[in-house]
Amino acid sequence: MSTDQLSHVRARNNVTVSGNPSGRPIVFAHGFGCSSEMWHAVAPRFEDEHCVVRFDHVGAGRSDLSAYDKGKYDSLHGYADDVLEILDDLDLTDAVFVGHSVSAMIGVLAATKNPARFGALILVGPSPRYINADGYVGGFERADIDALLDSLDANYLGWSASMAPLIMGNSSQPELGEMLTESFCSIDPTIARHFARVTFLSDNRHDLPLVTTPTLVLQSQQDIIAPLEVGQFVHESIPGSVLVVLDATGHCPNLSAPDELTAEIQAFLR
Amino acid sequence: MTDPAGVGPAEPSPAQPGSDFEDLYENAPCGYLVTSADGRITSVNTTFTRMIGHPPHELLGRNFQALLTVGSQLFHETRYVPTLRLRGRVDEIVLSLQCADGTNLHTMINAIQNGVSGEVRLAVFDSTARRDYERELLEARRAAETSEAQVRILQQASTAFTLADTESALTAALAENVREAFSSSFTAILLFDEAGVLQLATGSHPLLEYIHAGWDTPSTDAVRLNQVVIVPNLDEAQKMYPHLVPVYHANQLQTAIASPLTDKGKPVGVISSFFRRERNFDPELLELLGTLTQQASHVLARIRLQGQLARMALHDQLTGLANRQLLQVRLNQAIAAAERSGRPLAVVFLDLDGFKVVNDNCGHAIGDSVLSQVADRLRTSVRAADTIGRYGGDEFVVICEDTDADAVSHVTDRILASVREPLEGVPDEYPVSASIGVALLVPDAGSAVTTDGILGLADAAMYQSKNAGKDRVTVVVV
Repeated sequence: MSTDQLSHVRARNNVTVSGNPSGRPIVFAHGFGCSSEMWHAVAPRFEDEHCVVRFDHVGAGRSDLSAYDKGKYDSLHGYADDVLEILDDLDLTDAVFVGHSVSAMIGVLAATKNPARFGALILVGPSPRYINADGYVGGFERADIDALLDSLDANYLGWSASMAPLIMGNSSQPELGEMLTESFCSIDPTIARHFARVTFLSDNRHDLPLVTTPTLVLQSQQDIIAPLEVGQFVHESIPGSVLVVLDATGHCPNLSAPDELTAEIQAFLR
Repeated sequence: MTDPAGVGPAEPSPAQPGSDFEDLYENAPCGYLVTSADGRITSVNTTFTRMIGHPPHELLGRNFQALLTVGSQLFHETRYVPTLRLRGRVDEIVLSLQCADGTNLHTMINAIQNGVSGEVRLAVFDSTARRDYERELLEARRAAETSEAQVRILQQASTAFTLADTESALTAALAENVREAFSSSFTAILLFDEAGVLQLATGSHPLLEYIHAGWDTPSTDAVRLNQVVIVPNLDEAQKMYPHLVPVYHANQLQTAIASPLTDKGKPVGVISSFFRRERNFDPELLELLGTLTQQASHVLARIRLQGQLARMALHDQLTGLANRQLLQVRLNQAIAAAERSGRPLAVVFLDLDGFKVVNDNCGHAIGDSVLSQVADRLRTSVRAADTIGRYGGDEFVVICEDTDADAVSHVTDRILASVREPLEGVPDEYPVSASIGVALLVPDAGSAVTTDGILGLADAAMYQSKNAGKDRVTVVVV
């Protein structure tokens, strides 16, 4: 592979590599609604031991928006292909893939496509299907997802769109202030709409049994996005997977309980 | 249980004597809440309790998120919470609350999180009026965007179709526009070839090899039924095409749609799109597909007609062989090639013996049939690379490139033998044979031959064969 192609993939997904270059690679992938910043309290804790890779999905953070292709990204497979390209690009093997929310399923698809790159899958708040179906509790009805799309539009239309680049000048936390000048959890509104559809209307239940990579399912309490039943379903569908229910509440333990999340990941990897 | 603070529907809660600040807090013109880091409500003012219709004791200790509509909960959890955590505040977020009376209240919220305790303070404004206005704007904008996108695709497709002068340019333009309109993972166009086999014209078709193996697929069914076929999900695929399920899995397919391309109502091909997640198609999108395939079908018919006309201008209509005009062109090219390469070139000139007698005694219809039959026999007698033409009347020419005296004699022997065979519709008393003249060009430095010159020599050689008793070959070397 030529250097040009390497830099193309890295630029497209704003790939950053930090930590111990000879350590076991660990890749952090963010979910819908935010960017790689989601991992800012967790990823650095792995830098002593691991080669830490972070990236933005196309449409989020500092990814290359011009790389957005509606056909490619109309399913999670398009995002999974990007993950595989990043792993190829950095030539990582035995990689630990930590996927939050929809990226958990993106990791599942990538790891079933090319298991050779993966050593472990850590699925944080995964859901293979958000909409209830016969005998399956996903937690939502189709109308709920339409309401989310409405909510997205309401928050990006008109006056509220202008709030995005507002920067907090917080002199007591200069580091935070500096990081924030990059703008927060930035996502492209048009892409976010499509990503929301793809995230919440996909059904990848039948992909779970195909996973052969050692898998840890991390499930929060009272996670409205991915309820306990769903975590249980994922655990039961992936052969040999381990389910750990965190003390943390809500869908974003990577922000609300970074200590606990880090400890559980480290315990699984030992 | 009664609550002294009450949720008096109309009257303001009584201000405590000497407590202006408390009054300011309780009856502020916006709802005000405080939650713990994990979202539990620890304090709420009277304005908020009125907005939502729940008394304070029903709110304290509850998770703020639980007060939201489901759509807002999704937005709250995926967008608001991460932003609040990372940035420490969110401004002017639009969220809908579920009120005690079952209605929804549309609000705009500003929130600040305390960096140390994690406590969150929220100011909640009723934005119903604004929301209604925005909602109308939003719906108008969505409708406008949808129709704008469809009109844009129709316009760009029409332009591309008009400019298309080949089948491949047309099919590429159709596939590109359909893929854009549908955001499909794969879009492919198959067209029937002359043998009636569907061949890939453009794009990538995950089921192509199975179509060629004769399996039923959405694409072949669209052609067979001459209508749009939609396979909405894997369950339906399992029912309709159980044999294809492993192929679906291998290509991660979930939804398929196939639409026939027609000429005068008859299917001539099919455009198929495949999706890697379950998709529903709204009527507008299906209508767009219908319009695009219809337009493309018309243009395809036009392009094919033009091709047919071009062929007719260069081919003899009765026999389908090259006409004199095309023969001249091919012969020019062959002479130039022979002179360039130094390889020999043979020009075979053939005139039927006994044709005039057949024509006069059996009628022109039989005469035409003889010419067609001879043309077919020539096709099977010559080699694939040779060019056969009808020079006029009962005269035919065969151009044999890279052919020496020995090689051309094999060809002419086969021609003589095949023409001698009895012809359908011709009584035995009217035998037909061929008199042949061959002009063999063996290029060397300085020789300059013209097309007319070499044809004249072959024609003269043919007359020698006629004069020598017909049904034979005379070769002249140029």
